[in-house]
Amino acid sequence: MSAPRTRAVATLAVALLTLTACGTGSTTGSTPDAGAFVEPVPGGTFRIGTNGQEPTCLDPHGNASTLGPILNVPFADSLVWQREDGTLTPWLAESWDVSADGLVYTFHLREGVTFTDGAAWDAEALKINFEHMLDPATKSPLSASYISPYSSSRVVDQYTLEVTLSSPYSAFLNVLAQGFLGMVSPKQITEAPDTICEAPIGSGPFVLTRWNKGQSVQYSKNPDYAWGPQGTHEGPAYLDELEVVFVTEDATRYSALASGELDAIEFVPPQSYAAVAGNPQLETFTDFRPGHPFSLWFNTARAPFDDVRVRQALVAAVDRQAVVESISFGEWDAAEGYLTPSTPDYVEDVEGDLGYDPDRANDLLDEAGWTGRDAEGFRTKDGQRLVADLPTTNAVPLRIQIAEQTQAAAREVGMDIRIEYPAPQELSDRDLAGDYDLSSGLWSTNTADVLFIRYHSSNITTPERRGLNGAYLRDDELDGVLQSARETNDAGLRNDLYSQAQERLVELAPGIPFYSDPRPVAYHRYVHGLTYAHGYLSPYFFDVWTAKA
Amino acid sequence: MSVRTAARRVGTRTLGALGVLWGAATVTFAALALIPGDIAYAVVGGPDSNPSPEVLAEVRREYGLDRPWWEQYGAYLLRLATGDLGTSYRFHSPVTQLIGEQVGPTVALAVSAAVVGVVGAVVVALATAGRRPGVRGAASGTELVLASLPSFWLGIVLLTVFSFTLGWFPSIGGEGWRGLVLPTLTLALPLGAVLAQVVRASVEEVLEEPFVVTARARGLTDAGVRVRHVLRHALVPLTTMSGFVAGGLFGGAVITETLFNRQGLGRLLLSAVSSKDMPVVLGLVLLSAAVYVVVNLVVDATYPLIDPRLRSAT
Repeated sequence: MSAPRTRAVATLAVALLTLTACGTGSTTGSTPDAGAFVEPVPGGTFRIGTNGQEPTCLDPHGNASTLGPILNVPFADSLVWQREDGTLTPWLAESWDVSADGLVYTFHLREGVTFTDGAAWDAEALKINFEHMLDPATKSPLSASYISPYSSSRVVDQYTLEVTLSSPYSAFLNVLAQGFLGMVSPKQITEAPDTICEAPIGSGPFVLTRWNKGQSVQYSKNPDYAWGPQGTHEGPAYLDELEVVFVTEDATRYSALASGELDAIEFVPPQSYAAVAGNPQLETFTDFRPGHPFSLWFNTARAPFDDVRVRQALVAAVDRQAVVESISFGEWDAAEGYLTPSTPDYVEDVEGDLGYDPDRANDLLDEAGWTGRDAEGFRTKDGQRLVADLPTTNAVPLRIQIAEQTQAAAREVGMDIRIEYPAPQELSDRDLAGDYDLSSGLWSTNTADVLFIRYHSSNITTPERRGLNGAYLRDDELDGVLQSARETNDAGLRNDLYSQAQERLVELAPGIPFYSDPRPVAYHRYVHGLTYAHGYLSPYFFDVWTAKA
Repeated sequence: MSVRTAARRVGTRTLGALGVLWGAATVTFAALALIPGDIAYAVVGGPDSNPSPEVLAEVRREYGLDRPWWEQYGAYLLRLATGDLGTSYRFHSPVTQLIGEQVGPTVALAVSAAVVGVVGAVVVALATAGRRPGVRGAASGTELVLASLPSFWLGIVLLTVFSFTLGWFPSIGGEGWRGLVLPTLTLALPLGAVLAQVVRASVEEVLEEPFVVTARARGLTDAGVRVRHVLRHALVPLTTMSGFVAGGLFGGAVITETLFNRQGLGRLLLSAVSSKDMPVVLGLVLLSAAVYVVVNLVVDATYPLIDPRLRSAT
């Protein structure tokens, strides 16, 4: 009996090992059709394929997945709507006032909005939503920390809520525009909170009807919807049915679009760009996700990257433009700083040097005392080789390529980068313990406050608190600038402060910024009105209609 | 066989089965406990998330992760004894419900793949055993290639040819029988190839037996000999491999379901393992152990039906 069982277990283990996950993908491309106005045709079903990063909870407040908002925004509206140019416009909040000290936000809510379970949208509903995000029982992985300065709120009248913060927070309105902070029915929150993950109820243009776990989420039209954000059409959604399908394999995603099984796909993989462009039935558009570009971060808390010269040297040693072109089939540009260009308060011409310059890299390393050479040609100091450990995931091919090309570039200037691919759980443990010299990742959010999240010393992981400052950066000047930018009420001053922060970061060189992550969409020509929700960049379906022949 | 012996035999079997289940649960529990990584952090979403300390504390408290391992293990076994598989850490819904939602597509896939694999193997093996080296070699060679191909790759080839190029079958999560064809083949071909090799070897052995010569001497056709006399003998090694088949089907489902975008237990298992969703992993391991036990009980009961000599042996 035992022999076959061993075999069965072995088969399973091999199966698990062989399975390769897919990378994030993406394009440059055209914008949505800006042709003559055509009368929209209501009705029909629209199916879009996204990647395989399916969340495990569809409560907007209960997930942190990249795919959270594409799934949440169809059924849940937010307080404010972010337009393409980054400005915030009214949605479920008709207007708002901010006190001079930036501590009190008064929201005047839109009247006549109802959730699809009949519950009314009012000040009490908003209060219940804030409390739901912050309730530890919700186990919120993201929204709770995005509104962590929230202190209390008071119902002024039926449609006015006064929110008090514990400290000024200039990004508050921005994060409220993200799908992760969409509004859930207060009735469901108070009466059946256990059902929100599985079957959340909102006030959106669609009703979530079915979650086929491991496959797709289905929606149908909310016929009573009449409160779309500014710039969208009047009345309910055009589509009768909507389905978002999780297609894990990159190659399958494109092929299912081309064969007509899907009406649209997003996260078009770079290897499919040429096919999309060459297919006369397809259209495409692309935008880049705001926030922090994909980067390799230095662990600035330990040798060798505790020396800023060694960090600057590695930045100068890597031809980032060449690396990014090679991984994206020539489609993307290298990042020019520690914010992506689509982030508010991004500064285009940051003072300082992130350019490719191997001579400068060698000079900096000489200056830092790494002047010896060992038998293999690597630099040494006091008999110790210049080594750096880079534990990373082998699940994303793009990240492997970046790691390997960085390794090759580092070798040219005498640095030995050792790439390791530990199991995900071990990787997580090493992240927590700070047991690495280089780490990798990106962070997408619609505000430059991402720099606070990633580089303020209060976000360094401690035994009490897990933080996202994986670079262990601790710089008083930067801390001060980021804190002030977070607290100011004055947009001009904030912009100034964030440009100071971006310049300071170039000096501190906490990482090698590689590329802005695109979120390319490709669709059949019979699809109209497909755009993005910009609060958290993801496809938006309210205006979509189809004219299938 | 007396009633007492029969009763003792059933008792031993049941105890054995319980032992297998307990062992599977324990080994899995230990494995998950030993894998590094903070479970609470994995549960809220890992590197995608930015949980507050309060959230992590709540997760640890609610799931008992702050208690010593032996308390967690004891509580787990107690719940198990009452038939409660627990609640998924990540989906926040009962494990039995999650498995219930996903079991249908996997069973449909496994059964169709098993039928196609086994029937195909028997037909091919019977038809090609002991034939001219050209025929036999071609069949055997094809089987070797199929058996050694990574099923992931095989699936992609099938998709490219029959879905993307010819457009005969859907590629993603198709419904009805058409959606089942390519996943079934992806799973059945490598499995059937291995089985065909085994069956052919045993058919060829049987073809040398004196009773085959007798049968031929009685004027039976070659096909008649193979189907009526040889097949029954060849079924014994095939039956023995049922455990292998069951294991291969479940392992293969992980890959096939991902590739073809199907719902199912394989995908559930994969996501549960990678995010340390212990109750789901344990539930699935117990389920597969139970299936394995049942398959083996059935196999043992089947031998006497195939081979009459075994009926009098006990």
